Amino acid sequence: MYRPQMPLWKRVLMSIAMVIATVWLIFPIYWAVITSLKKPADVFKLSFIPFVQFRPTLENWQTELTLRAKEVFGGLSTSFIVAISAAAVALAIGTLAGYGLARFRYQRWKNKDIAMWILSQRFLPPAATVIPFFLMMRKFGLIDSPLALILVNVTFTIPFTVMILRDAFGELPLELEESALVDGCTPFQTLVWIALPLVAPALVSAAIISFAFTWNEFLFAFILTYSKATPMTVIIAGTQDVQGVQFWYVSTRMLTAVIPPTILAMAIQRYIVRGLTLGAVKG
Amino acid sequence: MAIRTRDKDRSQILFIAPAILWLLTFTLFPLLYSLYLSLHGSRFLRVTHFVGLENYRMVLTDYRFWQAFRVTLTFVVVNVAATTVVGLLLALLFNHPIKGIRLFRTFSTIPLFAAPVAVGYICQILFYEEGGPINNLLVTLGANGINWISHPFWAKVAVCLADVWQWTPFAFLVLLAALQSVPDELYEAAVLDTTSSWQTFMHVTLPMIRHALVTVVLLRTVEAFKIFDLSFALTNGGPGLATRTLTFNVYTTGLRDQNLGEATAIAFLLMTLVLAVTFVFFRIYRGQYD
Repeated sequence: MYRPQMPLWKRVLMSIAMVIATVWLIFPIYWAVITSLKKPADVFKLSFIPFVQFRPTLENWQTELTLRAKEVFGGLSTSFIVAISAAAVALAIGTLAGYGLARFRYQRWKNKDIAMWILSQRFLPPAATVIPFFLMMRKFGLIDSPLALILVNVTFTIPFTVMILRDAFGELPLELEESALVDGCTPFQTLVWIALPLVAPALVSAAIISFAFTWNEFLFAFILTYSKATPMTVIIAGTQDVQGVQFWYVSTRMLTAVIPPTILAMAIQRYIVRGLTLGAVKG
Repeated sequence: MAIRTRDKDRSQILFIAPAILWLLTFTLFPLLYSLYLSLHGSRFLRVTHFVGLENYRMVLTDYRFWQAFRVTLTFVVVNVAATTVVGLLLALLFNHPIKGIRLFRTFSTIPLFAAPVAVGYICQILFYEEGGPINNLLVTLGANGINWISHPFWAKVAVCLADVWQWTPFAFLVLLAALQSVPDELYEAAVLDTTSSWQTFMHVTLPMIRHALVTVVLLRTVEAFKIFDLSFALTNGGPGLATRTLTFNVYTTGLRDQNLGEATAIAFLLMTLVLAVTFVFFRIYRGQYD
């Protein structure tokens, strides 16, 4: 970081810029929060500050969590099941492949080409596989099943887990693993007992990124599910048709959908840049 | 760096086999299936007979395809340019040890991890024409409200603004990380050698963050081609076809109109377009993912 002495006026300007940028960043979420705390009569008024400009109410949240709870909790539990399962599978596959790419030299194809091939999955527009995937799942009787969503989201998040873990393993010193191998461990045992504990932070980050991407996925969820296995993203898309412009309910739903992945992501600040660029930029 | 193992290649292949088999099954196979579908007719979501390139001919002579093509390209160009430029400016501005930067960085991750479909609906509240906060503010300031949802041009602007809100933090965080890894000595040397901060930027900063900048543009481009959730939630593709992207068309053609052949043809054209763009990128910037 460059640290020249800055004159006071520059620092003041910078603080102002930061305040503006923060407001811009937070405003949509803030507005959703206060909309969820407004009575219907207050929703279409330009009032920002609870207690001062309008009397906040928890009624919308109460309705959401009691009368309309079945839908919301159904969506949340599907989202959690699908996102956790997909993250677990993607992590297992990514750990193995990441270790393989970091530690072995493959003969038939170069490691770089294998990594690039796995990565290219991320460049593919999901629309390219949505129709055949729908037909495949219909063939297997997996329409409206969480399993279909797990399968598709593992596919989408494998590039993240592979690349994050490849880099994490690659940065470990070789000596520990080599001595384990000399002592008679198989490569797989070396991975599990020696290398894996050392990359715990990368594992957590890869898991959270997979979780969040699965949680937020919409196109496939929308096409593959309709009643029993609808995750949160599909539930919130349904809110509109049913409720019209009842924004006080829309906002409670949106916040419920947005909170879990964003909270988790805040825990992995250090890995976000590396994770989201699939290892191309080290944060 | 490779590790020395006593096992032969055979056990090593088991490490990458699951990933490769998974992607063969759930990416490559669907793509081949998609190619097959795009060459066949269909009725009620069932494949009928081979039609050759008929589906492609139908798609390429359909004004809705070209409309979606233009919309998609517009979104890609506008959003990639806007997120990258704004993100770079913010990164340059905040690349100093200032109070609150850590908190600001934490806030920046919120849009990145919010579901685009939720962002779309939240923006629908913001852009609501009769009594939404943005129009209310405009009216309070004495201007006219804007038809954010019902006017073809402003609907595109609204979708772009939502996308820029969501993805500028990506460019910002990546470029800030890149800037912070530039060694101080380089700047100090540059400050002695050159006269203006513009020269410092062009000759010192830019070459050092070029790799990160290319990565941002590449990944943003790829993501922008995928836009569907946002326009689905915010404008439902409308008014008319104004915010229908190619992905949106794949969905409406394939699952609403149940025309599998044309839908997969659109999907294939979209994929070819994206892969062509990424191919060009990798030709120009070799070693982006070494």
